[in-house]
Amino acid sequence: MPASVDLPSRTTVIERFKGQGGRIAAVLPIHYPRALFRAFGMLPIEVWGPPGVDKSTGDAHLQAYACSTVRAGLSFILSGAGEVADAILVPHTCDSLQALASVLLDFTKPHQMVLTLYVPKAERASDLEFLGKELRRVFGRLVELTGQRPTDAELHAAMDREQQADEVLARLLSERGKLGVGNREFYGVVRSREYLPAEEFASLARAALDKWAGAPLPKRTPILATGIMPEPMDVLDALDEAGLSIVADDFAGSGRRLYKASTAHDPFDRMAKTLLSGSPDPTRGCGIQPRIDHLVDLAKRTGARGALFYEIKFCEPEAFYVPLVTRGLQAAGVPCLAVEVDITDPMPDQLVTRIEAFAESLS
Amino acid sequence: MANVVALGFDIGSSTAKLVGVTADGKLAFHRIEPTEPRIEDQATRMLAEARAALGGGALPVVATGYGRKLIPGADRAVTEITCHARGVWEAMGTPGTLVDVGGQDSKVIVVGAEGRVANFAMNDKCAAGTGRFLEVTAARLRIPIDEIGAVSLSTKKSVPISSTCTVFAESEIISLLAHGEHVENILHGLHRSLVSRLVAMVRGVQPRAPYMLSGGVARNGALRAFLAESLGSEVLVPAEPQLMGAYGAALLVRQG
Repeated sequence: MPASVDLPSRTTVIERFKGQGGRIAAVLPIHYPRALFRAFGMLPIEVWGPPGVDKSTGDAHLQAYACSTVRAGLSFILSGAGEVADAILVPHTCDSLQALASVLLDFTKPHQMVLTLYVPKAERASDLEFLGKELRRVFGRLVELTGQRPTDAELHAAMDREQQADEVLARLLSERGKLGVGNREFYGVVRSREYLPAEEFASLARAALDKWAGAPLPKRTPILATGIMPEPMDVLDALDEAGLSIVADDFAGSGRRLYKASTAHDPFDRMAKTLLSGSPDPTRGCGIQPRIDHLVDLAKRTGARGALFYEIKFCEPEAFYVPLVTRGLQAAGVPCLAVEVDITDPMPDQLVTRIEAFAESLS
Repeated sequence: MANVVALGFDIGSSTAKLVGVTADGKLAFHRIEPTEPRIEDQATRMLAEARAALGGGALPVVATGYGRKLIPGADRAVTEITCHARGVWEAMGTPGTLVDVGGQDSKVIVVGAEGRVANFAMNDKCAAGTGRFLEVTAARLRIPIDEIGAVSLSTKKSVPISSTCTVFAESEIISLLAHGEHVENILHGLHRSLVSRLVAMVRGVQPRAPYMLSGGVARNGALRAFLAESLGSEVLVPAEPQLMGAYGAALLVRQG
């Protein structure tokens, strides 16, 4: 077994950043401009739930069929756990997240600045123009909050750092099949992108790559995994125990955020082009066939022998695609297992049985 | 008794099933008991009794069911999904789509060549699509569980019952009884309700004919008839529908 990678916790990173005079932005999923915040000396800390939160506070404000990511996210903010944040960004990823933004802006009104961001579904010139304006609007609000006004050069420099971090993340994911490490530890590093400064993540991920590249490969069946995120992370232990290794990543929080680099001269155009350049994503209303083609290609490139759809219950953008996309993958010879979880619940034993049965069917 | 060479042990939420197979894969021995809270003690006792009845020799065991990891001395633990597929393929001699209605969960398994699992679905943390749904409601109506199928088939009138939740369905039944609805019409509706959930799972796995039914509930004629009607196809039932998981487990001993 290779030595573990030493990961700082979210709390440590936040305290350190604030101790150096920085500000914190709590960011809800999924697509948003990290660089824009960093250019203002703010560190975006992503709020994917989090799991383990008492979600009753948020439940009081939301419809029963809102997903657990949104319910836990709202509960987290309302419980005061997000007090450390100087601003809250809610991208309009889905109707439930839009509702969460409305609850914050119109009803509960936290003392922090609440920002929204509408990321368009398509990639037409009009979408890029619209997103450019959205980003300029957020820029203006951050000027109000911080009293700073980063130059174009500073915005480009921040984007360069994020691009470098994304390149290391892409390497980490593409070389996964050759790395001697279990799912749990691997995703500990991948998901540190949710809260580490880009330069720190890049350095830590490079060190992890070096460490794992020489370690013996565990004998596991390679699979593709998709969904919003591998949470609760106990699922990664269940996959390890069932002898399955995620070699192809299409999670919304990781594989779908490997943006293509843009060379646009204007920093807002560059940011907009980058944000719209990810792989086909249900949360951005992609076509069914492009999504099937992407996943089949990903499975073939990585040697994945099956695909796990690890979905959060009531996540509508994801759920609408699952029947047709799994059918497409199965037609292409990629067996699929689709499961649903509530991230605020402990992992059910039934889920372990399904994962084990899937592993048995692939062996 | 024929020469048993391997045992399959299926500890389900309602019953514990132990099966012995011969070298040519024939089901030659079985025991069924209600599952006890102390699974390890029950498994140890049942295995000792089986070995004594079969001549006292050590026999390899594959364990399955929700208690599969609690069977002392089992050579291997395999999920009930894999075991049911293997068992029903051997029993029926054909690939197809198996609907297994258990006490705690229901499964739809697309059985491929040689009894391999091609696809599967399970109900999600809810008793509404399981045998427990019928048990609870039959108890409320004070009709023995073995008779509810025949009672359901004795009428053509079906009272719609919510299939969302076993507890809510029970409340609904109380209201229907209070309004003077006949028991057989309620039972007819209950079976239709359970079948509607099963068919929804079947539709999600790209099924292939023939359809097969296993689990203790497979002996219920109404469930089988309504399932066949909804699927528009005959539903085959193996001779020992409750034993398919344990039978498959015993057969998997030979496959290593």
